[in-house]
Amino acid sequence: MLNNKTLAVMKRELREKLFSKSFILMTLLIPVFMFGILMLQTYFISFSGEGKVALQVISASEDMTEKVKSEFDGEDFIKDKSYTIEFKTLEKARLSEYLNKVRQEIVDEKLTGVVYIPLEALKEKKVEYYSKTPNNPKVQDKIKPAINKALSSIYFSGKGFTSSDIKFASDNVGFNGFKVSKESKIQEAGYGNQILSFLFAFLLYFSLLFTGSMMQRSVVQEKNNRIVEILLSSVDSRELMTGKILGSSVTALLQMAIWISPVLILISTTFFVLPPELVLSMSPVYLLYFLVNYFVGLIIFMGLFAAVGAIFDNEQDAQSGMWPIMMLIMVPFFIAISMQTNPGSPLGKVSSIVPFASIIVMPARMAMTDVPLWEVLTSFILNIATMVLVFLLASKIYRVGILMTGKKPKWSEVVQWLRYKY
Amino acid sequence: MNTLEVRNLSKSFGEIRAVDDVSFAVPEGSVFGLIGRNGAGKTTTIRMMMNIYLPDKGEVLLRGNKIGSDFKNLVGYLPEERGLYKKMKVLETLMYFAEIKGKTGPSVEKKALEYLSKFQLSERKNSKIEDLSKGNQQKIQFITTVLHDPDFVILDEPFSGLDPVNTNTLKEIILEMKNRGKVIILSTHLMDFAEKMCDHLAMIEKGKIILEGSLSDIKTRYAQKNVSINYEGSLAFLKSNPIVEKIEDFGNSAGIRLKDARDSRELLKTLVDNDVTITKYALNEISLHEIFVEIAGSRIEGIEKEEAYVK
Repeated sequence: MLNNKTLAVMKRELREKLFSKSFILMTLLIPVFMFGILMLQTYFISFSGEGKVALQVISASEDMTEKVKSEFDGEDFIKDKSYTIEFKTLEKARLSEYLNKVRQEIVDEKLTGVVYIPLEALKEKKVEYYSKTPNNPKVQDKIKPAINKALSSIYFSGKGFTSSDIKFASDNVGFNGFKVSKESKIQEAGYGNQILSFLFAFLLYFSLLFTGSMMQRSVVQEKNNRIVEILLSSVDSRELMTGKILGSSVTALLQMAIWISPVLILISTTFFVLPPELVLSMSPVYLLYFLVNYFVGLIIFMGLFAAVGAIFDNEQDAQSGMWPIMMLIMVPFFIAISMQTNPGSPLGKVSSIVPFASIIVMPARMAMTDVPLWEVLTSFILNIATMVLVFLLASKIYRVGILMTGKKPKWSEVVQWLRYKY
Repeated sequence: MNTLEVRNLSKSFGEIRAVDDVSFAVPEGSVFGLIGRNGAGKTTTIRMMMNIYLPDKGEVLLRGNKIGSDFKNLVGYLPEERGLYKKMKVLETLMYFAEIKGKTGPSVEKKALEYLSKFQLSERKNSKIEDLSKGNQQKIQFITTVLHDPDFVILDEPFSGLDPVNTNTLKEIILEMKNRGKVIILSTHLMDFAEKMCDHLAMIEKGKIILEGSLSDIKTRYAQKNVSINYEGSLAFLKSNPIVEKIEDFGNSAGIRLKDARDSRELLKTLVDNDVTITKYALNEISLHEIFVEIAGSRIEGIEKEEAYVK
């Protein structure tokens, strides 16, 4: 099967794809796009919390105002002036009158909100917040600790506690996450691997869909403009299909290798220092597995896409025939995404072994957590078996379909093709 | 000697028997015509000869041996419906189609350039196919068919869609290939062309071979049996003559159908011997078209229309 003719077909596919503008653009733009999305996200997140937040914190007693003000003064968001806070003292009885006065300012968003700390707050630890968007968690999260500290220190003062006692009582619990894995010692884990897992799942999903639809389009075109008839007078239909599949797969593999090479550089050199929350725990062997697995997946899916392309003689029909295969790529991607919050979920475990799905889910799962070797091997062997099976079926459908023009065949007819002696 | 032999080929698609027990032999050095109307089974037969389809029954022999996939390297095939990769460049295209025939290297490139200059396309060797005119694309298509110097050239309806200039170009290629001893198999529904170009032929109708042999043999076999005469005298004596099958007498002209075309001299002698004055004695050569009509019956409207269009 891998003879000179197959290689000639493959070389042509490679030449056509590797030197095409779309390949070069894709290879460059996808990382820019992904990076851009991350940057935008970070930017928007930081933007939404800070900026023009103007608050008034009103306490029921001078004492309280003094205390609250001193707590707030220590906060970063006051120092960097992203929040401007005015402190006032006002009795509870006069609050509604005051609120009426500033109502227009709040509605116009000149004033983000008014926090009122009543005397009862020292018993019930409840404050009131008047704002156009009172449930904005960003603002609440920022100002809660300072108010909490102020209330605690007033409450405990004069009861025989030291200031460090009070600080301990009023501090929040901090969580430091440690990743437990088999080989290495326990190390502090960041979000790095989670981001990678998402990134890898996305790249697999996107690239399989993209390469697949290119493959299918190319088959439909060859069939449609009848080049295939000339090709088949020179090469066998199986040689032709193999050459095409290998050509697209090698192109896509190369592209993927380019996309993930920054990760290899990050984990294998100490040249770049990542912030601790983004540190990656990943071995180069994983990346190798990732590429081999991707290649197997490519051959499986390119076989399916080639077969679908051969069934139809125009792109509209082929588009609709592509759906079942697209589902085989999309559903696993959604599973991989849902797994981000809980890599150990039963759905994730099962679908990382099931053929087709495991092509995307397994690498995504492995990026986040340790997977037993037998599971990896099982999924890999199942995929190899699937690849052989798909290849055999696809080459039969391809052989019959590629020369069939005219009426759009029914799926039941396609099944019959498998029995044709061709 | 027969170089290519087709034996008892059959192929069905579902209910339809596209090719039904077809046998014929292609002699060495011949221009062989596979003739029949559209849908008669020509393309399916050719596809089986090229190993594109597997036959349900039967086999194709190349000098006595069953053909395998290496036969593909010996054939140049110009299908009825043809195309090229539009985004590929001219020379690249030629080299690719030679490569999948197993021919690579500088000698092929040299030959490709020779062909391009022969067709005044040297300057376009780095143009994309889509930038060429339709006529020039057709020329490139011919070159891809013969560049790898095949022993057999199979042309399926080669003249369909060609402009007059390219029709002539292709005819020249065919003759040149013939002179170099190549076997040319021409599938067409245009009897006129077949008659001019082929020396052997097989006629196919509804998947069956209805006539096969060399053109001269066939013509002799189906030579004109109808004789038309203008005369003075009486033809009554012909009614019982053993060489005459049928006679239609109109008084001073008559149509006579002979049992055997070779008896026309005998007929003339009989007429003279019986004191008939003959003012016209006409014996027209039969055309392939007429032979086809005679054998295949009267359902040939499609052919006549298309032939009229070509003329």
